[in-house]
Amino acid sequence: MSIAAASNILEDLASRFGEGAVTPEPTLDSVPTFWTPKENVLEVLEFLKTGVEGPYRMLYDLTAIDERTRRKRQDQPGSDFTVVYHLLSFDRNEDLRIKVALKGESPSIPSATGVWSSANWYERELWDMFGVRADGHPNLRRILMPQSWEGHPLRKDHPARRTEMERYTLPLEKEVREETALRFVPREWGIYRTEGNGTEFMFLNMGPHHPGTHGIFRIILELDGEEIVNAFPDIGYHHRGAEKMGERQTWHTYIPYTDRIDYLAGPLNNFPYVLAVERLAGIEVPERARVARVMFAELFRIASHLVWYGTFAQDLGQLTPVFLTFNDRERAYSIIEAVSGFRMHPAWFRIGGVQSDLPKGWEKLVKDFIEYLPPRLMEYEKLVMDNAIVKARTRGIGTLTLDQAIDWGVTGPNLRACGIEWDFRKKRPYSGYDRFEFDIPTAGEGDSYARALVRVEEMRQSLRIIEQCLDNMPSGPYKSDHPLATPPRKERTMRDMETLIAILSVLGPVVPAGEAAVGTEAAKGNNTYYLVSDGDASSYRTRIRTPSFPHLQALPLMCKGFEIADHIAIMGSIDFVMGDVDR
Amino acid sequence: MRLNTNETDRPAGGEAPPRNFLITKLEDMVAWGRKNSLWPLNFGLSCCYIEMAASITSRHDIARFGSEVLRSSPREADLMIVAGTVFVKVAPMVKRVYEQMMAPKWVISMGSCANSGGMYDIYSVVQGVDSILPVDVYVPGCPPRPEALTEGLILLQKRIAAERKPLTWITGEAEARGKELPVMREQKGWRKEATTLREPDEA
Repeated sequence: MSIAAASNILEDLASRFGEGAVTPEPTLDSVPTFWTPKENVLEVLEFLKTGVEGPYRMLYDLTAIDERTRRKRQDQPGSDFTVVYHLLSFDRNEDLRIKVALKGESPSIPSATGVWSSANWYERELWDMFGVRADGHPNLRRILMPQSWEGHPLRKDHPARRTEMERYTLPLEKEVREETALRFVPREWGIYRTEGNGTEFMFLNMGPHHPGTHGIFRIILELDGEEIVNAFPDIGYHHRGAEKMGERQTWHTYIPYTDRIDYLAGPLNNFPYVLAVERLAGIEVPERARVARVMFAELFRIASHLVWYGTFAQDLGQLTPVFLTFNDRERAYSIIEAVSGFRMHPAWFRIGGVQSDLPKGWEKLVKDFIEYLPPRLMEYEKLVMDNAIVKARTRGIGTLTLDQAIDWGVTGPNLRACGIEWDFRKKRPYSGYDRFEFDIPTAGEGDSYARALVRVEEMRQSLRIIEQCLDNMPSGPYKSDHPLATPPRKERTMRDMETLIAILSVLGPVVPAGEAAVGTEAAKGNNTYYLVSDGDASSYRTRIRTPSFPHLQALPLMCKGFEIADHIAIMGSIDFVMGDVDR
Repeated sequence: MRLNTNETDRPAGGEAPPRNFLITKLEDMVAWGRKNSLWPLNFGLSCCYIEMAASITSRHDIARFGSEVLRSSPREADLMIVAGTVFVKVAPMVKRVYEQMMAPKWVISMGSCANSGGMYDIYSVVQGVDSILPVDVYVPGCPPRPEALTEGLILLQKRIAAERKPLTWITGEAEARGKELPVMREQKGWRKEATTLREPDEA
């Protein structure tokens, strides 16, 4: 991202809205960041989406920061709450941040749902988590917390720990009350429609406990016979307060929490987090650690895709593949376990490197795996992808056009299935991905079958990357010597005092004040950690932009006009994880 | 329960009975049957459910212990494995599903979150599923390995084998509990006494 490009967009904005309408702010991640007054924001966003050359077509993220207790705010206008729009331009391969300063205890912004459809859920989250009201929003209700919740959890004055609050009990009256509150009332969801000819649609509740929803997710289907007229996803059943947790854990001890966001692919969540902290702290990671990270991440991408492969086939009525793919996943885990000592959530990445060096004999394990898997994938291809029933049930089902996908914030394999080659590993290479040879599989149809095809091919490409890691693993240290790398390398502790203090310190490193966001290509799509440091031992604000959240928001769009059974196939094909949606 | 295979078992002066019958009490027979055909509810909350699925699939194959018949309807299930975090928003639903299961029923709490909240002492998480429903076996881990879940299942089976519940809720208290299970931490104390550990840097 060049400075020239940043000043370019600043000129565009200044010529359209006048000098001083937007104020630039320098950031550590060199993402062009501009402050704009609340009155202007919708026009600015509209202009950036449609009026500039190389438009910012995707609303990548929308969040807020409670600034009331923040101390180090150089170059920033004063505010109680700051709303942050994170835009993405495919043509420029560039991000842009628009910040709006809000004052007072009950702030509000104009709703951007008219500009981007995907702003809907993000603004509901703003209201739920921060109490920032989006004026003109079609259905501003809580999204993650229960409707009966009091307070806004990500405000600094809301308690973080459950043990600080009243002990949770569930007497009968409360159970009945909560159950009744879950009843679907169309009017509460902004549906007032009655058909003129007396037609009534049926509402079918699906979930939160349903084997087809891949986790605790609820969706209400509005049906005309078997046909889905509309769908209303209800999320938040898996909200584990990961962002609030980031404000309490130290920079180092937060790593295990990131593993549990997209819990099928732990290290792919560690990746953007440690990269963002390293950006803030200015740590250079040694070569061996960079390649080892890539290898570990790609192993998990395969493990995650294998789970998807099996469950997707199961959703379509094939019971055999899940037993086969889970077995292969166990083989991947045998490597992961030998390296990190853990299966699902290894937390093996560290700030400045990885936890330990690769064990002796790892090469053999990896070699066996990359020889073992390709013939198996061929077999599954025959079993699943070439199967006539699978094809009949997924081709032309749940189609997204490229424009829709971009408008709804869809990324990852689901976006690539719409025919665009967009992958952060190629477009914004991190951790040395630019030195690997691999292809980005795409498909053009944008339907459920295309999404599946992309993932199947991605596993092969991941195997290629792992093979290159195996052949070219550099020697050298597995962790940086930078004073903020955590914990410091053991060999050094016996030699210098500073390192010994760091290793004995309970809090871990103090990361310099500033803001940085780093995005990576996770198994489900683009994953970004936006970290705000106030020069403390823990983060001031941790924002996790997960890919599954917008994917699920686009689900009604995909399943309208199809039947209930197709809906199951569509859900299987978009590969979401509730931990990745609700965080 | 005794399988008649012994020639010398014949009653004095009588004819040798055929060797293919069992002599047992009905309640022993029922306990044996219950122990070996626990049908788990297909119910998952978060990460632990993936490891629960790993227990069901080929390598760990829970069918070896008679528990592979996953039921999606609580009416047909008799074992609830609470696999994952119990969130405040989902807790009423967990309780509701538990109540819909027919007695006799058992609960395994799988993983740190379901046991105690684990690493999530956070506003949206109930600190242990036992604040809303009774638990028979706690399986530690984050998430527990499939082997750990299998161990939990075997422990539960031992307990069920020793339990004498009424045959139906009509004849007595359906929630009757068996004897307390031993604390495994005490049973496995020998592990803490280990002085030589395997080197981690050998694959």
